[in-house]
Amino acid sequence: MNQILKMVLVLTILGLISGLVLSLVSNYATPLIHKNEQEAMEEAIYYVLPETANYETKTANGKTLYVAKDEGGTPIGLAFTASGSGYQGTIKLMVGVTKDLEKVKGIEILESEETPGLGGKIRGENFKSQFRDLVARQDLTLVKAAPTEPGEVQAITGATISSKTVINTINKEINTIKELDVVKDFLSSGA
Amino acid sequence: MELFFIFIAIVLTQNFVLHYFLGICPFLGVSDEMEGAFGMGIATTFVMTLTAIITWNINHFILEAFNVEFLEYVSFILVIASLVQLVEMFLKKYVPELYQTLGIYLPLITTNCAVLGLALFMVLRDYNFVQSAIFGFGAGVGFTLALVIMAGIRGELEEEAIPKPFRGTGITLLTAGLLALAFMGFSGLVPV
Amino acid sequence: MTKDFLKGLWQENPVFVQVLGMCPTLAVTTSLINGLSMGLATTFVLVASGLAISSLRKLIPDQVRIASFMIIISSFVTVVKLLFEAHIPSISAQLGPYLPLIVTNCIILGRQEAFASKEPVSRSLMDALGMGLGFALALVILGSVRELFYQGTIGNLEILGNWYKSMVIMVQPAGAFISLSLLVALFKRISGKE
Repeated sequence: MNQILKMVLVLTILGLISGLVLSLVSNYATPLIHKNEQEAMEEAIYYVLPETANYETKTANGKTLYVAKDEGGTPIGLAFTASGSGYQGTIKLMVGVTKDLEKVKGIEILESEETPGLGGKIRGENFKSQFRDLVARQDLTLVKAAPTEPGEVQAITGATISSKTVINTINKEINTIKELDVVKDFLSSGA
Repeated sequence: MELFFIFIAIVLTQNFVLHYFLGICPFLGVSDEMEGAFGMGIATTFVMTLTAIITWNINHFILEAFNVEFLEYVSFILVIASLVQLVEMFLKKYVPELYQTLGIYLPLITTNCAVLGLALFMVLRDYNFVQSAIFGFGAGVGFTLALVIMAGIRGELEEEAIPKPFRGTGITLLTAGLLALAFMGFSGLVPV
Repeated sequence: MTKDFLKGLWQENPVFVQVLGMCPTLAVTTSLINGLSMGLATTFVLVASGLAISSLRKLIPDQVRIASFMIIISSFVTVVKLLFEAHIPSISAQLGPYLPLIVTNCIILGRQEAFASKEPVSRSLMDALGMGLGFALALVILGSVRELFYQGTIGNLEILGNWYKSMVIMVQPAGAFISLSLLVALFKRISGKE
């Protein structure tokens, strides 16, 4: 009986100490971690919509939208995240569009596990720069050669699937965003 | 359908051993002959499936509910250690030959990074209960597959003259590398 | 005592000789910095748990020793993970889920079983430091090799010039296995073992 008691006691005490220490460290670290995530998100917003001075966060139907504003407080565009299934895993992007939803101003890759050197090139400037001032009135399309029409994006050689995922994800998200009441009000008010 | 894709992905495209480097220790240690390899695979798959189920519940009903996610690693590893202990007792009583074959490697399933790894991935990917169970089972199948293939190859290699520095670990790692290369061919097979 | 420390670096190097801790070794050695970070994180957990377990060794009943070790080890790993996420998020992101997998790093449990639970604190400290740094050394070597052949840099410093195109395979599983295989063989050759 003594043996079992000792076993239980040791494990319980260890467990309690562990729980205590961990909750202390967690309390210390968690706010810092949130701050890091916030900063990363902000960096992405400023990257995809370069003229942003500050932004306002709105949520609708479970979607988070960042309304980018200029110095005077006038909305200049929207930023939002989107995810899709890539070649090796989920690709998560930040997309910035003009406030009339007609042009993509820029994209940033937040998360991707694509093959380095191939699909991984979606993180590179060469690919991302195609999305500056890209006409998005209709769905974006992927082409193999240099783009000739507005709204066309050239795929990365040897990484068609990764490129396609980016395009499809953007298209899908823009179409979904368009249906949100918040956005409809936004568009119609012209504010 | 989606469940099917998760399964195929985890067995082939994202094979735990050849793509995620999980479960390497037993992979190098037990894969030298077929029966041991297969037995280890089965035992591990069993533990993995149960682990996925139990840790999902712990994560959902305790860790997330009470905001104590920082207890994730401690609670998960304790669950795994207990499960392995149970499996050990079960095998010792009902399947003693397998118990003997696996020997020291059975308790080592606890430190098999693949088991803890699958629990961690499951939380990261936010799988629901059914997805988690399939994920756990698939991880085990993938692990078993890698182990069995390796055992087959090593069986053949035994007859060959291998340069001294490469004997043992060296050649096994090299073979694993070639296997990993081969498995890369499965990329893009299913949407992940 | 120095012997306790040195053996972890060479004769009983966890990676090249004992072939332990393979999972993180292969997974995070995509660059020197990643390898070093993982090596240091592991050393910290090894030393901290070693100290704790060695000091408590007379108090922990034999039947629950594995469970006790796991509680202690996984707690220290959680601490490292939280601190990394808070203070070096970019490295934490690179190491990803492999950082928590230090919990199942067979080196740690192995050392506690074989050494820390039986030897006094001072010796356990030396042993843990030696093994940890030996592990870190192996990771740094492997990380440097892979980084060099992938993008021509070591620690982000240009070594090879622009003429070098990259070997993408180096940052992928196959390249990891093959590089390690060559290093293990090389180690065996140099140390004159069988």
